[in-house]
Amino acid sequence: MSSITIQDRAVAINPTRSCAPIGAMLANYGIHGAITINHGSQGCATYPRHQMARHFREPVEVATTSLTEKTTVYGGKSNLLAALKNIWERFHPTLIMVCSTCLSETIGDDIPGVIDEFLERHPEVTIPILSVKTPSYIGNHTTGFDNFLKEIAGNLPDRRKKKGETNGKINIIPGWVNPGDIRELKHMLREMGLNGLWITDYSETLDGGYYEPRPHFARGGTTVEELRSSSKSLATIALQRYVGGEAARIYERRYGVPAHVLTMPIGLANTDAFVDTLVEITDHVIPEALQVERARLLDALVDTHMFTTGLRVALYGDPDLLEGLVGLVAEMGMTPAYVLTAADTMPWAEHMVELTEELGVESEIILKGDLHELHKRIKARPVDLLIGHSKGKFIADAEGIPLLRVGFPVEDRFGYHRRSIVGYNGSTALVDEITNLVFERRASSIVSNTLVERGVEGPSYVPISLPNGNGKLV
Amino acid sequence: MKFKCNQTLPERAIHIALKGPDGGCQRGDGSGCFIASNVATTPGDMTERGCTYAGCRGVVGGPVKDAIQLTHGPIGCAFFSWGYRPHLADSDFHIKYTFVSDMNETNIVFGGEKKLLQCIIEASREFPDAKAVFVYNTCSTALIGDDGRDVAKQAEELIGKPVVFFECEGFRGVSQSMGHHVGNETIFRQLVGSVEPEGDFSRAINIIGDYNIKNDLRTFEYLFEAIGVRILTRFTGNVSVDDLKIMHKAALNVVHCQRSATYIAEMMRDKYGTPYIDVTLWGIKNMSQALRDTAAFFGLEAEAEEVIERELARIQPKLDHYRQRLQGKTVFIYQGGPRVWHWIELLRELGMETMTAATTFGHDDDYQKIFRQLKEGALVVDNPNVPEIEEILRDRRPDLFISGNKEKYVAYKMGVPFVNGHTYDTGPYAGFVGMVNFARDIDKALHAPIWKTLRSRARPAPVAHHTTHGFEEVE
Repeated sequence: MSSITIQDRAVAINPTRSCAPIGAMLANYGIHGAITINHGSQGCATYPRHQMARHFREPVEVATTSLTEKTTVYGGKSNLLAALKNIWERFHPTLIMVCSTCLSETIGDDIPGVIDEFLERHPEVTIPILSVKTPSYIGNHTTGFDNFLKEIAGNLPDRRKKKGETNGKINIIPGWVNPGDIRELKHMLREMGLNGLWITDYSETLDGGYYEPRPHFARGGTTVEELRSSSKSLATIALQRYVGGEAARIYERRYGVPAHVLTMPIGLANTDAFVDTLVEITDHVIPEALQVERARLLDALVDTHMFTTGLRVALYGDPDLLEGLVGLVAEMGMTPAYVLTAADTMPWAEHMVELTEELGVESEIILKGDLHELHKRIKARPVDLLIGHSKGKFIADAEGIPLLRVGFPVEDRFGYHRRSIVGYNGSTALVDEITNLVFERRASSIVSNTLVERGVEGPSYVPISLPNGNGKLV
Repeated sequence: MKFKCNQTLPERAIHIALKGPDGGCQRGDGSGCFIASNVATTPGDMTERGCTYAGCRGVVGGPVKDAIQLTHGPIGCAFFSWGYRPHLADSDFHIKYTFVSDMNETNIVFGGEKKLLQCIIEASREFPDAKAVFVYNTCSTALIGDDGRDVAKQAEELIGKPVVFFECEGFRGVSQSMGHHVGNETIFRQLVGSVEPEGDFSRAINIIGDYNIKNDLRTFEYLFEAIGVRILTRFTGNVSVDDLKIMHKAALNVVHCQRSATYIAEMMRDKYGTPYIDVTLWGIKNMSQALRDTAAFFGLEAEAEEVIERELARIQPKLDHYRQRLQGKTVFIYQGGPRVWHWIELLRELGMETMTAATTFGHDDDYQKIFRQLKEGALVVDNPNVPEIEEILRDRRPDLFISGNKEKYVAYKMGVPFVNGHTYDTGPYAGFVGMVNFARDIDKALHAPIWKTLRSRARPAPVAHHTTHGFEEVE
């Protein structure tokens, strides 16, 4: 049976998570022509920009109110007013999002109050200006993303909705995913003949092309007008429970748009759940194209199972991503031996215990975990594969374990933001990549589709775990 | 010189200047006064500046290879400053590991001192081989009034090794420059001179202000050694805590980065009487001068000339090859501070001219050095912001842009060849052999076939029409 561990150490060593403002900044990139003002020290804008530039390989522009010693004494109001004015006059954005920081929260700046004052002083400014609370000492990077989505759901949609009025669309809240994932989800909706309203959509703003001349605002992103009409959608589907789930419920409570909060659609069962939900909402049939893609995923699972069944895997990252990945890992016959997150959400851990039980695998679910803790566990009892973001490379290098790069950030490779790991196609790609990683680590050659193990003398090497007399895996 | 993007930001004019015909400075506000620098950023101008923590943790303290790098604050500051700056050493503990007291809301309300103490103890227990614990303060822990200095003192007694507390909270000062100062001052106060080694230090020097980015040190350490001096301590590239403790024994400080590290050279001069010389370790003329100046101090002039002659003979044919390919190109350099004036001469040696120069956190002395070297008509910008950089790239159209990772993708989106001067594309770039790498990277950047492809084949953005799937091409 799976177990839950809460890591008990004051010092975090090699954390798997970063902090809230970057989540809000990322989500705001999914709105066409929107600009973020980070209300805090300059580093609170520059560090996340640098991190995002390393992941997306795109220009990332975020304004800062440049707070200094003086403002920590007198408050940051005058800096925020100046920043709002300068951003408005210089860029004429379609929306401004102000996110807070440790600094502005601790000195107690009233950001919504300052925004109101700014709008009073500048009646010519008619764009929405949102305020999102993102101090680093609460939650993690996904908290900032989720808080932003709640702010959108609560403030942007049009409240004047006639009975039965609809825009015929489905709100999709993908959560913290990559541009490639959003494009795959769009493909699925298109094949279903459905119209999605994406909350939000950085599939092009953070994975753009080269154009001459360069457009004033990056192409792509959901428009403010679309978001305004999101209260008139047929339903909302949130594809991550902890990033967007609550926003979906706000749509249901405030505007009567039914909420469907699902597991991230990675793997067959999770993707089926997403497609079934689309069918349930709209009565559309599953199109031929998706049926073929689904069958192809099944085919890939069959083709690879002799090389993946029984492997032990360590996964780390954000709860939603882990939940989706565990589904696929189990479908491939692998054991998610360690599932480690920095989050402190016991309901999630309990859900993961039930889920792994259902899937017939045994895991240690680690809350408040860091990569040093994971490394210690792997040293004590090795795994065959690591799954998580780039920061796991130090463990992978030290232990000679392959690392499947997923999540955020992937800063030591190119193009991972373009890939998709969701839907039938994304899952098939993952199945292939996982199998190939295992090949590259273990195989000296592949003869007639059979693995010739590297550095193994005789048949004694058994790469997979076997139950011992006590029924425990050794 | 007026930027179109600054129509509504008149306060930026004093940060922008042209080198005038008489060698003087023509400032953007019409006056002849010198460019304004090292002052607070205009809020919301899209600055590229970072914070004091970044300057201290990222630049000065971070390269120390056997110290536990512990951030006292919430998680983000530690995560973002972890493992991306290639300040290499002969071991990689300092790059692979980051430590953070991970302050949560309760800690912020009730104070984080107890937790910090526990963190230091736990971290040093996990890594008993580490020689010290470096603790970096952040905005939130400074604001709630945690007495980190006191905790560090207590911890030092408990763990029996130095606990160095840096008061580098992000809101101090106007840029990361303040962080360099804090880093220098703290290391000097807490470590330098704490051990008195035996031995002959009469020909020992410290290299001050090189962080061994992509192994820069390898390109010039052997040159100093070849003229007969020994390098005692590198501040702070590839340095150990023990090296820092004895650095006061050196006979001479050789100061390379004169923005981030002159502070410690001055403090050593005042306390120990150690003289220092300013050098530039990039480019032929400057590197040669650095060796000559160092040699002159020790009476090793003949040895220096021999080394210089031998090294130049090695690289000259390669540099000639590149010079002929780079001749006449114009450059826009935008770096943190000194690299701008370090490189104007180097680029000239490659036949290129710097026509636009900008720094993130340069002070008056940096701009003096920049102005002295530039040609008439060159533009200088202090603390440029994103729209200004875009306008320079679009309207002044430099052949080459040298800057950092954030700016790289702006340049690429505008079709401007780019070399990463912060962390190097395929460095190291210092010394004589490094200059060949630099020239090769510039050559690659300028002559890659992609620019021809862009000029001949790039198309305008398709007209966006709004469909239910977001923006799509019109078919």
